[in-house]
Amino acid sequence: MKLIATASQTVGPFFSIGLARLHQDSTKINSADAQMITGTVVDGDGQPIPDCVLEFWTFSSFARVPTSATGKYSVILEARTEMCEVLLFMRGLLKPVYTRVYLSEAVKAMDEVSQLVATDRVHTLIAQPGSAAKQFVWNVKMQSDNETVFFDY
Amino acid sequence: MTTPIEDREARKGTQPPYLFPGYVSTQKRAPLKPLILLPENSSSLFSPVFGHDSVRPADGDLTRQHAGEPLGERIVVSGNVVDEDSYPVRGALIELWQANAAGRYRHHLDNHAAPLDPNFTGCGRLVTDDQGAYRFVSVKPGAYPWRNHENAWRPAHIHFSLFGAGILSRLVTQMYFPGDPLFARDPIFNSIPDEGARMRLVSTFDWQTTKPEFALGYRFDIVLRGPKSTPMEAVHP
Repeated sequence: MKLIATASQTVGPFFSIGLARLHQDSTKINSADAQMITGTVVDGDGQPIPDCVLEFWTFSSFARVPTSATGKYSVILEARTEMCEVLLFMRGLLKPVYTRVYLSEAVKAMDEVSQLVATDRVHTLIAQPGSAAKQFVWNVKMQSDNETVFFDY
Repeated sequence: MTTPIEDREARKGTQPPYLFPGYVSTQKRAPLKPLILLPENSSSLFSPVFGHDSVRPADGDLTRQHAGEPLGERIVVSGNVVDEDSYPVRGALIELWQANAAGRYRHHLDNHAAPLDPNFTGCGRLVTDDQGAYRFVSVKPGAYPWRNHENAWRPAHIHFSLFGAGILSRLVTQMYFPGDPLFARDPIFNSIPDEGARMRLVSTFDWQTTKPEFALGYRFDIVLRGPKSTPMEAVHP
């Protein structure tokens, strides 16, 4: 017989006390090939969410970054990363939301989800080219118009 | 052996929903569109391994991180971390955070008019042993008010963050203390529909781990989702 998984609860607003030691320290990354995604996390009214922590998972790496007082985050990813699975935790989320971000050069890797996601929502999963090479912008909207696609979790 | 459908039925109501209007912050942050069900085994089984060297000795004793001892009721919290098939989850990183005994977090946004304790940070880190067991020493956190509704108070709790076998095993939860009179009016606790699942977040007082002349023992066992478990309440677009 299978056990039932322990119930999730929100991280609340003070998660940095416990989680900050794993926050990515971008000053310690100086690979010329590294890629960077920046963006803003906003709520259903478009208001920035200052108390969110994002985790970027790939098949070989993990990076955790919090949002700033203006809801902005910035994460550095290994060279050649094409897709990350992303968990977002925040006050007001009783369990994390689970999504993906595809770096725009790698849209071919999207075959799997483009069959599952309505055409007019696929764009929410794609990071857009930023102001410089290897820089991308990916914003997350929690609800309503342009709500980011979230996967079952 | 249970079938996937029975599994799904058994899990029904054992996790909170995204939208739970009584917890006001969910109203503008909960996703409102249907979640997309990914194919089985589509998500990453990779899990970061942080290892024992990521944990310092004082990380498992929140009463010994400063020059003096924190005020409050000393506690020893222990338990086992297993997956849904009852296998121990070994070497799992657990991150902990909590308010001090007066119900105040060491955080610049916590405005509760209760004293900070110079000898308490409220941060712990542990790695489960070869049996999936963990143990830490702390002080019992105080209840504290929040502005969710009139005269709202959170029951005393300790935040837990755990890594298991892959992204779907990731868990952040809160451990509560037995008999707390604040349970009945706490929307975060009551967001979990299933009473059994809710009560499994309540630790049990334990004489076995209570240390004479030192600290009260509480037990809190944790079950992480396995990588192959069936997603529940999935809705296609």
